[in-house]
Amino acid sequence: MAKAFSLSDSTALRDETALRRVRQHGSARDGLREWRLQRLTALALIPLGLCFAASILWLAKSDQATAAAWLASPVSALLVILFVLAGLVHALIGIRSVFLDYVHTRARLLAAELLVRAAAAILAGASVLAVLKLFLGH
Amino acid sequence: MERPLSPFMLPVWYRFQITSSLSILHRLTGVALAVGSILLAWWLVSVAAGGELFAVTHAFIASSIGMLLLFGWSIAFFYHLCNGIRHLAWDAGYGFELRQAYRSGYTVLVATALLTALTWLYVLLA
Repeated sequence: MAKAFSLSDSTALRDETALRRVRQHGSARDGLREWRLQRLTALALIPLGLCFAASILWLAKSDQATAAAWLASPVSALLVILFVLAGLVHALIGIRSVFLDYVHTRARLLAAELLVRAAAAILAGASVLAVLKLFLGH
Repeated sequence: MERPLSPFMLPVWYRFQITSSLSILHRLTGVALAVGSILLAWWLVSVAAGGELFAVTHAFIASSIGMLLLFGWSIAFFYHLCNGIRHLAWDAGYGFELRQAYRSGYTVLVATALLTALTWLYVLLA
């Protein structure tokens, strides 16, 4: 029997058109990256989240001008942008793992994942643009 | 043979304990917070746009439905934050003993209640 072509062979280039890769058999070999990114964003979200929550509380009874002035200052603009981006990356990985547990057909999984990725991209873009508008207009 | 599948073993095959309940709650609050990011982005856009958009958004947030949503999100936020720290400790290899896991679980619940109460006390009194 011929020796099976192995992608784990350290001299082989990673061939994305190999049949078992196309048919998604076996490990993707990059699961750890997502796991690590979720923990990294979790760590970042502890100070960013507390800071954001405290700011929102402080803004709770203020008008639009106060909120706009707060978002226009460089430090809070940066912190809000970092909070939104870290939060959305963290949420995306989390939602994806929920889908992997509960969505059982490949087509639905792909559709759900594309939808959520699009939603995250739109929310990230809208949030960053909103903060940048206030920051640059200051 | 019809075998029970992992997430659908409740409540016939599987008895709830605080550890598994908190684990499920971590996921539920995570999903709730992900949905909440829509309101966050919407609020940021409304502040940037100002005018009528902000007035409408503010009126929605200040309405009873808006306040109820915010109350729910504040619980979800503090729970996911506290339990997330618990998870990070596990990832670092600490707190795996059953007694420790139970104790940290109850600590998370108390901390969540305390932080949520303090937050809304501040909103009501400030």
